[in-house]
Amino acid sequence: MAVSVRVPPVTWLLLAVVLISGCASQPPWPADVPSSGRPVLVSDVPFYPQEQYQCGPASLAMMLNSQGIGTQPQALVDRVYLPDRQGTLQIEMVATARQAGLLVYRLAPALSAVLKELQAGHPVLVFQNLRFNWWPQWHYAVMIGFDARQQELILHSGTRAHYRQPVAAFMTTWDRAERWAVTMLPPDELPATATPLPFLSSAHDLEATGQLEAAARAYRTAYERWPDQPAARLGAGNVAYAQQHWQEATEHYRTLTQDFPQLAAGWNNLGEALTQLDCPVAATAARQCATHLQPQRFPPPPAINTGTPNPHCPVIRCPEPSR
Amino acid sequence: MVGSRLMIRPVAAMMVMVMTLCTLWTAPAAAAIVGTDELLTEQSSELKKQELLTMLEQDDVKQTLLDMGVTEQQVRDRIDSLTPTELASFQAQLAEAPAGEGVVGIIVLFLLVFIVTDMLCATDIFPFVNCIR
Repeated sequence: MAVSVRVPPVTWLLLAVVLISGCASQPPWPADVPSSGRPVLVSDVPFYPQEQYQCGPASLAMMLNSQGIGTQPQALVDRVYLPDRQGTLQIEMVATARQAGLLVYRLAPALSAVLKELQAGHPVLVFQNLRFNWWPQWHYAVMIGFDARQQELILHSGTRAHYRQPVAAFMTTWDRAERWAVTMLPPDELPATATPLPFLSSAHDLEATGQLEAAARAYRTAYERWPDQPAARLGAGNVAYAQQHWQEATEHYRTLTQDFPQLAAGWNNLGEALTQLDCPVAATAARQCATHLQPQRFPPPPAINTGTPNPHCPVIRCPEPSR
Repeated sequence: MVGSRLMIRPVAAMMVMVMTLCTLWTAPAAAAIVGTDELLTEQSSELKKQELLTMLEQDDVKQTLLDMGVTEQQVRDRIDSLTPTELASFQAQLAEAPAGEGVVGIIVLFLLVFIVTDMLCATDIFPFVNCIR
């Protein structure tokens, strides 16, 4: 006769709790940020307590004001707050900062990246889910510092200024929001953890949304910091081209073709700028260089009757093909 | 069944409209200068390819490929022919893989991609996968 042993459901529950808590490990403090030393605090980040549900406008106002852009949360509510959803989309936070001429840089999803930005004096906008995945409560906060000795992060969060959150609590809530964190800085200020292509993408976002002055500054920041990145110089040229500053655009493209002679796009754009400068001979020569390098992409330019070239036009010489 | 048949016409009409709009949308508005985003896309896929190729240099990756009967050259060719979108999704999945599982993860991923491309007759790597065309 089989003896069935009934296990009360509560036992399973307890077992589950034990197992789950066994899995949850304390997230380590990043090794490259020493866990000793004085607390780091970014000064000049004004605090705006949030109204009900409106952590988005309040956090954005703090980020903008910290960069000297005077605005109030109430003025941002119309821009970013969705009454139906009682919240704010990340994309609208980003777009609004961009319209203010700031470069929005998405940080690598690691606590060490956030802490390095704070060490460099950059406040960080973070996105958190304060509840659970199945019952989320989304929340924006501005991280303004950290206390490595206490392993605490210092945030302007909700209605609390200088709120100290233990690293474990922050990591859990941040993990549930896919570790979203951004800096919003003037385009001539490089985020401490910036890498070339993501930064250039952010610069291009400024260019694409018509913030041409800001984009130009961002590209300049990029080519001064990373002279080995052709996209920085190309972007600077393209912005000048969009602004119809043909001379400036030509100069950028010429620098580009000198530094990266094998980049066909540079020669093609140089040709376009020279056309606008009324230098048809030089323009055709530049386009031919592009055709030599990438025939499928850049078809040969139509032949022109070679009149007397303008004296102010440059003389174009193609590079030797590398292969 | 009947219901789904009925839907075909309106759906098709809508798709035609969407496709037409998309074509119009991508038509370059300005002169034929190469946009910064084009170069950035090219460069980031180049970078990702380099990262993937560097992974192939690792001994355990080489061994796993050997065990699976895939030559390194086949994998190299495959990486070279990936589109930027495919590369991006590769990278995203790799980034999601927990530390230490990255290498094994990529092998499995490659396997999946190869099997799918084999089924679509784009590649012919696994003899046990039959082409569906």
